[in-house]
Amino acid sequence: MQKYDVIVIGGGLLGCFAARNLARYKLNTLLLEAREDLCTGISRANTAIIYSGANAKPGTIKSRMCVETSHNFGDLCSELGVRYSQCGSIMVCFGPRGEETLHEKLSDGLDNGVHGIRLISGEEILKMEPYLNSNVRLGLFSPEDGTVIPWELGLAAAENAIHNGTEIKLNVKVTDIEKIEDGYKVFAGETIFYTRGIVNCAGLFADEILEKVQKPSVRIFPNSGNYFILDTKAAGFVRHIISHESEKKTKGLTLVPTVDGNILVGPSKTSSNEKDGFQTSSEGLDRLGKLVAEVMPDLPMEQVIRSFGAIRPNPYHVHFDSDSGLYAREEDNIGKFEVTQSKDNLAFLSLIGIKTPGVTCSNGLGRDAADKMAALLGAEINPEFDPKRPAPTRLVDLPIKERSRLAEENSAYGKIVCRCRTVSEGEIIDSIHRIPGAVTVDGVKRRTGACSGRCQGSFCTQRIIEILARELHVPLSSINKDGPGSYIIGGGSIDVL
Amino acid sequence: MTFYDLIVIGGGPAGMAAALSAKANGVSRLILVERADTLGGILNQCTHSGFGLVYFGEELTGPQYAERFVAKVKTADIKILTSASVVSLKQDGTVLISGEKCGLIEVKTKAAILATGCRERPIGDLPVTGTRPSGIFAAGMAQKMVNVGGYDIGNRFVILGSGDVGLIMARQLKLLGKEVLAVIEKEERCGGLERNRINCLEKYQIPLKTLCTINRIHGKGRISGVTIQNLANGNEEFLDCDTLITSIGLIPERELAEEASGGGELPDWMFLCGNSCYVHDLVDDVTYEAERIGYLAAKFILRGEINNGEFTGHSKNITNQSAVFCIGCPKACPLTKTADGFSGAVCGRKDPVPSDGR
Repeated sequence: MQKYDVIVIGGGLLGCFAARNLARYKLNTLLLEAREDLCTGISRANTAIIYSGANAKPGTIKSRMCVETSHNFGDLCSELGVRYSQCGSIMVCFGPRGEETLHEKLSDGLDNGVHGIRLISGEEILKMEPYLNSNVRLGLFSPEDGTVIPWELGLAAAENAIHNGTEIKLNVKVTDIEKIEDGYKVFAGETIFYTRGIVNCAGLFADEILEKVQKPSVRIFPNSGNYFILDTKAAGFVRHIISHESEKKTKGLTLVPTVDGNILVGPSKTSSNEKDGFQTSSEGLDRLGKLVAEVMPDLPMEQVIRSFGAIRPNPYHVHFDSDSGLYAREEDNIGKFEVTQSKDNLAFLSLIGIKTPGVTCSNGLGRDAADKMAALLGAEINPEFDPKRPAPTRLVDLPIKERSRLAEENSAYGKIVCRCRTVSEGEIIDSIHRIPGAVTVDGVKRRTGACSGRCQGSFCTQRIIEILARELHVPLSSINKDGPGSYIIGGGSIDVL
Repeated sequence: MTFYDLIVIGGGPAGMAAALSAKANGVSRLILVERADTLGGILNQCTHSGFGLVYFGEELTGPQYAERFVAKVKTADIKILTSASVVSLKQDGTVLISGEKCGLIEVKTKAAILATGCRERPIGDLPVTGTRPSGIFAAGMAQKMVNVGGYDIGNRFVILGSGDVGLIMARQLKLLGKEVLAVIEKEERCGGLERNRINCLEKYQIPLKTLCTINRIHGKGRISGVTIQNLANGNEEFLDCDTLITSIGLIPERELAEEASGGGELPDWMFLCGNSCYVHDLVDDVTYEAERIGYLAAKFILRGEINNGEFTGHSKNITNQSAVFCIGCPKACPLTKTADGFSGAVCGRKDPVPSDGR
């Protein structure tokens, strides 16, 4: 019988941080992830911003966590060996409606205690961001905003959790949950896990997980947004995070100079509302193009190397409608973040509908959930908890002498596999053997950056498949791009040509 | 630090011909760096024939064409580094090489010939919507996987773009017993050579759908189909392929030239040849031009003669080029949009005129 104190359901950014923070206590924790790698849902596709709090309403969990987190985010990242760029952000506007909003946000930000926040004139903005549409009128500068790579952060948290004794099982999809006297029975097909408590971090499916033990009260109605990524050659065009407060009621544009030196453009809302609808639409991409033309007409869109679709998990309260026999959603979605708990299921904590600023609040929410669970279960502090996670070797970040020494010791560090990002075979092998290691091409991509450059993997994908198969001792045909059914080689009727 | 008179970056047809020519013209300390395990470059994956009709007067396969040069290079007193990449090329001629056998080494060179070829334009560059499943391959990548790796990459193919690589892949897949549902081309005419259109498509009854594009990709794990749209009448059609091959353009790999020129003019000691200069139709032309470039580099190294922008070649046909070129550029160099506007990546012209009207 597999017995645990806590099972974390879902291995996205939130689940990884819940697990890491649970490891601060003497708890026997298991994290279950349905897919073959961590951080492959919402965590894989979002705007990647660490907000310092001007966007959050005063007195909310969001505002508290944004201010706390952003101020010390560099420390968290160095603890976890994660790259972070505190580039600051400017919220810009081009008309009176935007000006009004910016003044409100300034006031909210000051109430929240956001550090260094101030309004700046159009002239000052253009000095900081010379490629912006020169009609820019006013900006709200938040120097403590920054950007991180969400999956890099999540994977680091997961590695640290494992280092501190957490168990992680991949490819385990929770199919049912049954309340028993001293906890829960968690079913994954035929397999049963026993646990005293559950932290539900199932992202887009967190509502469905909660409904395994109680009646529906909150449901997720997702909507999707589209993004573009520009090559590093366009890096000089955007220096801070720029978010555009539109004069219309619709959402404006956000431009992010990423940690890797690319520019992320988006999101534009689309009408797609499927939970697995990670896709782009012409509606979404066209809208992005129009917004770019409005906000930064000179942005070299011919440097686009990729577009992608993301999903926001919008939560709504629902009530049973006896006429239709269905659950109907209320008009407005739930704006606040909370660790949900019901009186019938005290040891079942749910993080439902964590959207913007979810990346910022991931550690804070994970910590809140862990503290709450520990108190419920009467767990003691784990005095041996080690918060440090050594960063993986990244050759491009090392001085030449160090790179040279590494290549001499191990020739795999000399062999460059991905030339767009200068990633060596040694780094790819490392990414496969770290725990949790990469088992897919995209898993390698998320951990090393290989395939994410301007050629988008056309030179290195084959090599990466070969390295994965060799290191994992599996046939080439079992290497997926990302997720079930995404085979690359040999899925057809003929095995070898 | 080791000093060289000339570094040739890239051991494909251009790099090998340039190196041999420089050597024959008197350059002594010469190093040729190739990132793959073997010399030959893209020729190694071009297992079809049709190479060498001009240069050798006989029809060869890609590997046969390459082998003639590999044999010469290996006996020509040229230092050859394979499985090694040039990761940095500084304005002062310092070169950083990272290799499996050599480790990370720094060398200094008097001159450099860039023969780094092209990369393929990724599908993310097009406004194609939908999901991002597996089973989408750039044509050259597919060609390498099939011809060099011997891998089975799918069964029911759609090919986007009717450039030569796309046409040749269509035929080859058909010969391997695969289904090729269609070749999709957004222009009115086939993009590749007429002889390839006839020999690769017509002969095998592979439909060429001109004035069409793919506007949506379907599938959650592996690709399960594409929606193609007729640009003339807007009609849509679904093709249930399990593999998509994209042949939508080649982009010269010249990031090293950009680094060495510091965003300005290409330094006098740097030369470009082969497809990293512009995309050629025939490898024979690449060889002729590279030999000329090798000679010019030798003149510079031995006598300090500066190549004042002379670019010689049998073919200046750049119609297959997808990158933006500046019109009338002496070096036919493509334009890069930088933070300071367009710049001729190589010639450094101040006010280049983009060829696509941008």
